[in-house]
Amino acid sequence: MPLFSVSSVTYDVPGRRLIEGLTLEIPQGGVTALLGCNGSGKSTLLRLLAGQTRPTAGRITYDGRDLADWPIRALARDLAYLPQTTPPAEGMRLQELVALGRYPWRGALGRLRPEDHAAVARAIARCGLSGMTDRLVDTMSGGERQRGWIAMMLAQGARTLLLDEPTSALDIAHQVEVLGLVQTMCRAEGMSAVVVLHDINMAARYCDHVVALTGGQLLLQGPIQTLMQPAALSRIYGLPMQVIHNGGQTLAHPC
Amino acid sequence: MTLTRAILPLALVLAMALWGFTALRLLPWAQWPALPWQVDAMSVPQILLSYGAMPRGAIALLAGAALGLAGALMQAVLRNPLADPTTLGTAAGAQLALVAATIFTPGLLVTSHLPVAFAGSALTTVLVIWLGARRDFAPVTVTIAGLLVGLMAAAIATALTLSQGHYLLSLIMWNGGALTQTDWRGVWRLAACLVPAVILAAVLARPLMALSLGDAQARALGVRLAGLRGATLVLAVALSALVSAELGLIGFVGLAAPALARSLGARSPLQRLMLAPIAGAVILSLADGVLMATASLGGPSLPTGALTGLIGGPLLLWLLPRMTAQVPGRVEQGVQTAGRARQPGRVIGSLALVTLALVLGLLLLGRGPAGWGLVPSALWADFLPLRATALLAAMSAGALLAMAGAVLQRLTANPMAAPEVLGVTGGAALGYAAVVFLLAAPGIMALALGAATGGALALTGLAAYALRHDMAPARLLLAGLAIGALASAVLAAIMASDDRRAWVVLGWMSGTTAQVTPATALALAGLALGILTLLLLAARWLEIMPLGSAVGQALGLPLIWARLALVLLAGLATGAATLLVGPVSFVGLMAPHLARSLGLMRPHHALCGSAVIGAALMGLATFGTRTLSYPYDLPLGLMATLIGAPWLFILLLRK
Repeated sequence: MPLFSVSSVTYDVPGRRLIEGLTLEIPQGGVTALLGCNGSGKSTLLRLLAGQTRPTAGRITYDGRDLADWPIRALARDLAYLPQTTPPAEGMRLQELVALGRYPWRGALGRLRPEDHAAVARAIARCGLSGMTDRLVDTMSGGERQRGWIAMMLAQGARTLLLDEPTSALDIAHQVEVLGLVQTMCRAEGMSAVVVLHDINMAARYCDHVVALTGGQLLLQGPIQTLMQPAALSRIYGLPMQVIHNGGQTLAHPC
Repeated sequence: MTLTRAILPLALVLAMALWGFTALRLLPWAQWPALPWQVDAMSVPQILLSYGAMPRGAIALLAGAALGLAGALMQAVLRNPLADPTTLGTAAGAQLALVAATIFTPGLLVTSHLPVAFAGSALTTVLVIWLGARRDFAPVTVTIAGLLVGLMAAAIATALTLSQGHYLLSLIMWNGGALTQTDWRGVWRLAACLVPAVILAAVLARPLMALSLGDAQARALGVRLAGLRGATLVLAVALSALVSAELGLIGFVGLAAPALARSLGARSPLQRLMLAPIAGAVILSLADGVLMATASLGGPSLPTGALTGLIGGPLLLWLLPRMTAQVPGRVEQGVQTAGRARQPGRVIGSLALVTLALVLGLLLLGRGPAGWGLVPSALWADFLPLRATALLAAMSAGALLAMAGAVLQRLTANPMAAPEVLGVTGGAALGYAAVVFLLAAPGIMALALGAATGGALALTGLAAYALRHDMAPARLLLAGLAIGALASAVLAAIMASDDRRAWVVLGWMSGTTAQVTPATALALAGLALGILTLLLLAARWLEIMPLGSAVGQALGLPLIWARLALVLLAGLATGAATLLVGPVSFVGLMAPHLARSLGLMRPHHALCGSAVIGAALMGLATFGTRTLSYPYDLPLGLMATLIGAPWLFILLLRK
């Protein structure tokens, strides 16, 4: 069974159609890259997958069940979403931010039990932030803060992570760090991730599948290898592209 | 399309028809005086026409044009479609200055009201702009700051009016914005200022166009930002002050005219600056025409400003959903983080201890015929129950307002959010006024019920509106302000009705503890504790809320219901406190900020801290009310405002 199955989904905002008649499937396991040029509908699709907005027409199922039928907290226990710009978590310690990830489990009133504290500690450790639990989130560096938010997603105990351009504000070292973390989790623990990315070479290196959009419509879906072809790339970005094979690595750049 | 283009001419024709109808009812066409007029030879209806109705029609056109231009200038320079003399506090500044001048230095007003009005307008506008500059001119924050400064100025003006009551009936008329004229001088003064202002505005159009790209780009294009901003704002404030000085408070024309110009397709600043005055002239003439026609048919004679205020509230609500495209999409940043307390529990504990000590002090300390001193123990049995009742009621009200403020600031992630802006207080004031006017001799229970119903209705309207728009917090604040504006417009009309009962409402609006019974005080205290408990249970919601709706939804928070529940709690708290303190107090704004600056960051700490601080502040205010002008009591709400006003300034000053 596919992780997500999107069938003839259309999404309108007043005066404009952002997604038109989109049908695609995202497989279980591994990292799926969501590519496309600016305004192609990537972020909108991700928000639809996360259940943040409902499609104007069509149906999205997650794990075989219509997204509209998932109770909101049950969905949050299974599916975690990180928006493109993370809000300033003013005056909040890392520990407290990550503990918010237990909300889907305990709700507004339930006390945090030992297993919740364990999940929080594990998530922080997975993201390599163990020494920083008492730091204020707004005093952390960009890369640390991004990992802090990913730790919150992990604390949710979700099987699926949806990340909207998690690397856009990071330098190359932190990009490698964040994407490496996502890849390891998917490989080692059978989780799935859908990541909006702009950098094709990062996508080729860290992702297993690809979905490419243009003008709100599907352009390409399949294993990542189908992406790294000059013809496919030039269709996505409307620009002649060249692909170089260099000792097991595949790199693309504009001609 | 052709229909929208025809709106302006059609409305103008309608306005002129209304004016003509009124004029012809006054005097048949055949008897209209021939030019040149010779006053000695004219009958009374002829004089009423030539020196009353005619200048009134002309001044409606001119004042509307001036306000439209002022609004368009402010919107262009602040890149904010919500800016206008009402929302920036400009008009309220003029009001305060004129009230103060009438009381303290009446000599200043002999020659002209304009310099005084201008000074007041400039002062409040500079304050608001200054605050805006520190928040990158984020439209919602600037608007909220403007309306808060406006509320503050209006509250102080009300207090001054009350303290010198009988001298100031004319000012209350003035507050309503009546367009009645007795000669042509006002028309000539307005016209003489409007013509150069339009020319100046046309000169400013091109640099303002460059500014519409943003500060950095405008500077890169060689625009001198400070000069441009200064010149534009001075012009806009001068126009607004001119109208204030001539006619009084005429709200929201400056908001409506540019909005109309925009919807008629005026895109460039030049087009807007030229079309907005025309739209403003038509809007005000139409409003005034309707009122004149109603009055001439025997209907009530209302001030025009009250009617434009009535239109203004719904207009804000209508504009809000259409705003997204025009507002630069920037995050409204909170106030800079203060240090976080290491042991918040200890901070709250010490706060509580200080408050307790304060309570004891306030109970015993006072001012008597013999000067300052403690209440002698022989008099305890007489004094203390009375004082304790007043103190308990006031402190509970303070805690309620503070909690409402803390919740709203978290809910909207906006540091300027305060219960005053929810519109609850405005609704409560309307309900109170309705009871005062409808019942012959209303008792305290009827009054309380009226105010509570009014507040609840305002809250229901707010919730209904906000639910339709997903309860987006910034919209919620502005919708609340719009409801408040609506309420204050109706109140202004009531005040202008020249009725003794208006004084009852005015007195209540400045807040008093004089009529509190022990039962009321206990009920308020119980309510405060109950709401605190409920809010503490919702602490986890309050922790997630400031992170925005995307995160909240991703974590499985039932966003709409959580927001609705919190708004209702905040509204209940505000409504109950309002009964005692009156509509404006700023305790709800102040207390959460003080709690933050003490390092109380997590929701439950912040809530407890705010509640204690709010209670202490209001306790201090009661002390002020009975000692500052002993042996007379000052209104409690006024005292709280006087404590709160400096706090607003501190907030402005902090980087």
